[in-house]
Amino acid sequence: MSIIIKNLEKSYDKIVLKDINLEIPQGQILGIIGKSGTGKSTLLRCLNGLEKPDRGTILINGQLFTGVSDPERRRIQQKCGNVFQTFNLLSRLTALENVMLPLDFFKKNSGKNKSKALGMLHLVGLKGKEMSYPSQLSGGQSQRVAIARALISEAALLFCDEFTSALDPETSLEILELLRDLNKRLGITIILVTHDMSVVREICDEVCVLDKGQIIEKNDITSILLHPQKEVTKSLIRNLFNKDLPHHLQEMLMTNPKKGSSTLLRLFFSSQAAREPIMSNLIRKYDIPINILFGNLDHIRETTFGCLIVEIPYEISNLDKLIKDLDQRNVSSEIIGYLPQKKEIHGTPPYPSIH
Amino acid sequence: MEHLLIQAFIETFIMVSVSMGLGTIMGVILAFLLVLTKPSGLCPKPLVSHFLEIILNGFRSIPFIILIILMIPFTRFWVGTSIGTAAATLPLTFAASLLIARIVEDALNTVPKGLLEVGKAMGASNLQIIIKIQFREALPLMISGLTTVSINIIGFSAMAGTVGGGGLGDLAIRYGYQRYDFTLLILVVIILIALVQCTQMIGNTLSRKLKK
Repeated sequence: MSIIIKNLEKSYDKIVLKDINLEIPQGQILGIIGKSGTGKSTLLRCLNGLEKPDRGTILINGQLFTGVSDPERRRIQQKCGNVFQTFNLLSRLTALENVMLPLDFFKKNSGKNKSKALGMLHLVGLKGKEMSYPSQLSGGQSQRVAIARALISEAALLFCDEFTSALDPETSLEILELLRDLNKRLGITIILVTHDMSVVREICDEVCVLDKGQIIEKNDITSILLHPQKEVTKSLIRNLFNKDLPHHLQEMLMTNPKKGSSTLLRLFFSSQAAREPIMSNLIRKYDIPINILFGNLDHIRETTFGCLIVEIPYEISNLDKLIKDLDQRNVSSEIIGYLPQKKEIHGTPPYPSIH
Repeated sequence: MEHLLIQAFIETFIMVSVSMGLGTIMGVILAFLLVLTKPSGLCPKPLVSHFLEIILNGFRSIPFIILIILMIPFTRFWVGTSIGTAAATLPLTFAASLLIARIVEDALNTVPKGLLEVGKAMGASNLQIIIKIQFREALPLMISGLTTVSINIIGFSAMAGTVGGGGLGDLAIRYGYQRYDFTLLILVVIILIALVQCTQMIGNTLSRKLKK
């Protein structure tokens, strides 16, 4: 199912959503990303009918969803599935009964319902758990039940609200994989709201970045990751790689350089840096020892992107030039701080290599 | 003496079970109205909600013994007489439904908002959400609440004696206290303890069975 949003507006005490225009074609996985309090959940709640927008229109599969009568709205809602952060399973029903809930509401034919629900549970990988109660299921299993429940009424549209936040990273990867698979197999359109760029990177075709209630950037996933335009987007991407420094280095970090100290630089590779050997070029060109302390690199297509933390002796005169040089190669850098002279550090080798 | 005890037990049993039965029906309806119409409810109606609150709190602040007396005109109208077991059952029913309304309301309010939103986002009607989600989820808590109310009503039924309602409490007062029949008094107390224990046990078991 496709969605068209036009000039959507919503405010409570202050404006939450402003001038939202969005088109989501059938079969797409769209990620709505933004920091907390930017209105992304409200946007989703307008789409699934839990909130009424103040202004603007939403068309779901060509049908008007805003400003229509309650029964009309409910008829459209019945074709949409929802997955929530907190699973929201009924504690007194078994997994199977939970999955059957929507059918219970809207379809009478109970003989077929059961086999359909069983099929759905198998599809999400929960064979053998049909008779378990939610209290007996793990987080990942519960979310699978919730997905099965969302899809049982032949939903071709799935709304997911921060649905991996309550899961550990490994489980959320599994769930994302499941969604990817369902999207491919059943052609369902998926709209997911998250603050986590890694969820978006894993699964989304398109990304739209929300800030202060407005869509500030919308593009396909590769372009967003490689050529982010807005600062908010850049900082969200940075979070992907921005692991903290190892603890013992953090403790030694100084805000001002001393004699013999070295500079810690954080380098971001987030664009077409190609396959150029940037690091060794630097070493040769400036004739300086560069020590890589920490790194987190990933590849999208031909491009390296990610972050490196390197240590450079402070006393080189042309640090500015070096930074500019990196900039020209589409590697942005930032000085994190300074480390004291190496002798003061206990043990050798002093730093961990790439993690 | 056995005859007296059996008679009184039957009277108590009738008063408590009839008032609990009818009280549950009315109380649950009241509770649903309260939950539905509250400002954050599925169907907010502030005026109705305030009105119900005032009525409920007003009547609950009247001591039961006074309530019996205040209700005499109504009892006469509905039951035809203002004395006897049937006449005592009416104020008991009334008191029970008020207590039950509050307790069931609390139970319904414990159902997480997210669960109701599941129904809403699915396109279910308010009635479906209430019955198939809210009521179902709150059931174990409601049962334990009803158990507490039953025990309260057993206590209240002792005051039925004032309008000739009979029952165990009345027997204990008339024979045990006023006629100094200490043995009978003790017997009544033992029966009451057993009755309350049984009620509590049944309630606990049911509530536990319903909770998964």
